[in-house]
Amino acid sequence: MKKCRMLICLMLATVGTVLLLGPALAADTIKVGVVGPRTGGAAATGKAFEEGIQLATEYVNAKGGVLGKKLEVVFEDTAGAPDKAASGFERLVTRDKVVMVLGESHSSAALAEIEVANRLKVPFVVVEAWADPITAKNYKYVFRAGPSNSGVVNESIAKWVAHEGFKKAYIVAENTDWGIGIADLCKAALDTIGVEYGFLMTERTSQDLYTELNKIKAFNPDVVLAFVYGTGLHYLVAQAGEVGLTPKAAVLDGAGPPSLWPDFWTNVGDYGDGATFVSSMHEKVELTELAAQFRESYVKAFGKSPTDYKSRSMFDAVLIAADAINRAGSTDADILVDALEKTELLVTRGTARFGTTKGGPEYHHWMPPMLIIQWQNKEQVVLYPPDAATGKLKR
Amino acid sequence: MLALAITNGLVIGMIYALTALGVSLVVGIMNVVNFAHGEFYILAGYFSYIFAHTMGFDPFAAMFIAVCAVFLFGVLVEYTIIRPTYGDELYSLILTFILSIVLQNAYLLIFGPYPNKPPNWVSGATNVFGLFYYGNQRLAALAAGVAVIVLFFAMLKMTWFGRMIRATSQDREMAELNGINTKRLNMLSFGLGCALAGAAGVILAPVFPVTPTAGVPLALTAFVCVVLGGMGSMRGCIVGGLILGLVENLGAAYVSTGYKHVFMFIILILVLLVRPSGLFGRSEA
Repeated sequence: MKKCRMLICLMLATVGTVLLLGPALAADTIKVGVVGPRTGGAAATGKAFEEGIQLATEYVNAKGGVLGKKLEVVFEDTAGAPDKAASGFERLVTRDKVVMVLGESHSSAALAEIEVANRLKVPFVVVEAWADPITAKNYKYVFRAGPSNSGVVNESIAKWVAHEGFKKAYIVAENTDWGIGIADLCKAALDTIGVEYGFLMTERTSQDLYTELNKIKAFNPDVVLAFVYGTGLHYLVAQAGEVGLTPKAAVLDGAGPPSLWPDFWTNVGDYGDGATFVSSMHEKVELTELAAQFRESYVKAFGKSPTDYKSRSMFDAVLIAADAINRAGSTDADILVDALEKTELLVTRGTARFGTTKGGPEYHHWMPPMLIIQWQNKEQVVLYPPDAATGKLKR
Repeated sequence: MLALAITNGLVIGMIYALTALGVSLVVGIMNVVNFAHGEFYILAGYFSYIFAHTMGFDPFAAMFIAVCAVFLFGVLVEYTIIRPTYGDELYSLILTFILSIVLQNAYLLIFGPYPNKPPNWVSGATNVFGLFYYGNQRLAALAAGVAVIVLFFAMLKMTWFGRMIRATSQDREMAELNGINTKRLNMLSFGLGCALAGAAGVILAPVFPVTPTAGVPLALTAFVCVVLGGMGSMRGCIVGGLILGLVENLGAAYVSTGYKHVFMFIILILVLLVRPSGLFGRSEA
């Protein structure tokens, strides 16, 4: 009986200690949430995000953390589904008490999350979801530190098409918010520069694209602007080679990362040579000193070179968040928004600076520079912009 | 475009039929809807990739071992998960659904999120009658798929095991009275159903690389095939698969590429309106 009483006392004492120390321990860190797909068809992006988070938290904490405390990142899986994304975002705010949320790579998921961010009044920095309405809605708490559809189309793709002197283009887009949105912007941009074009939409889960590619081939385009994400891009590149669409027509991967995934060459074989893609990262060219540091830390941590540029996008976003919290000197949402608006931070992709003019997608948006790169003998050759070019288009 | 749409429709249709055969076999004999069917397909693709790519086995030996491994895994699943649920179809349905999610996440953990592709058997493309180019690997996959289907039907018609399968699917009680050990037959049939999914997986993985979730749309198409052809009808599976492949490709060629899979559901609804038991299904007495 005595033993039993002692045991109960010990248990109560343990529970009491944990309850008393819990908040104190929690208070030693400042939490930032991340949303993104760790499962589902785009789980590769989740992996890239995880790598970026790991390197960024180490970097920030090595430099003193945030507000004198350690930075802690809580990652919530959205699987790329809008319903999961909205509930995951809400969980980060209500359960984990994060002061800011970063991330996302699916536009449809991000469009659901910005509504929650706006309702709960929590700053949200979108990293790799490109649909224009994300920032075009001009929500006070929503920022974007990454590409947008209009930025990529107007600043890179359309200018590259004009630069190469292509006469006929074909737009092929998956039936998602990102695919449909960027295809519409592409059509408008090609109209402006006077390039004849055709268009077709594919299903996101389509594996067989023979009929689509033969339709495109019948149009006889100089370039195919492909807005198809994930494994779908590998199917498209391999099957375009099989049906004889390439190498006569150049294929541009309008997203980028799938052309850089580790199994790209196994999946597409020799048909990958000559494929072009949009990217904010080149295997050898670095825009800033921090980018070189990132590469070095990445190789040290993971034993391989970085390929998916989304790891670096997430790295930048965490640095932007930490910088804003430190400058704000507070975790109050409105003060954080004010600090984010005044961001002027050199990150791996250049100086991050958010637009403050309302009325369009430029509001609260920083558009990092994007490159158009071609695989030539399995080496990356920058084609556009001309001042960064390391070679010419080969067909 | 018409010639290509028909050719591709037949090839894709044959692939659908092969994938659906395993579902139909298990439904026909055990009255179990295996929601994890797509994950067995993916598992065989991964095995084939590991044996051929990582361990350096001959691609055909790798394929054979992969199918055998999936058969054994199927037998194990029947013994541990499915067997206790006999008599309650809902339980097996829920359990295979859970198994599907568990396997998807296990693949993600073990193999990572990137697509994996075993080596091609042949490379390049063939100019078909000067009309269009068609990938040689696809043509080889078609030949292999047809061979597996023919072998399966020969086994069903010409062997003692096939006769037991047919007898049990027609009348389980009568088969038992005639001395068939239906418990053991269930186990072997479930394994065989999984091995058929595996055969489709190893044949198709060089054409469509496998990812942890790639089995989901494939399983869905297989179920549509089975319902369209008539639950449990092997002949129905083949016809259903070919119809779906053709409708999808002709629809994509002449209507819209954006809603390719919608055509398959339209056909399914139309057929079920006219024949609720499917094309070759036995109507309820």
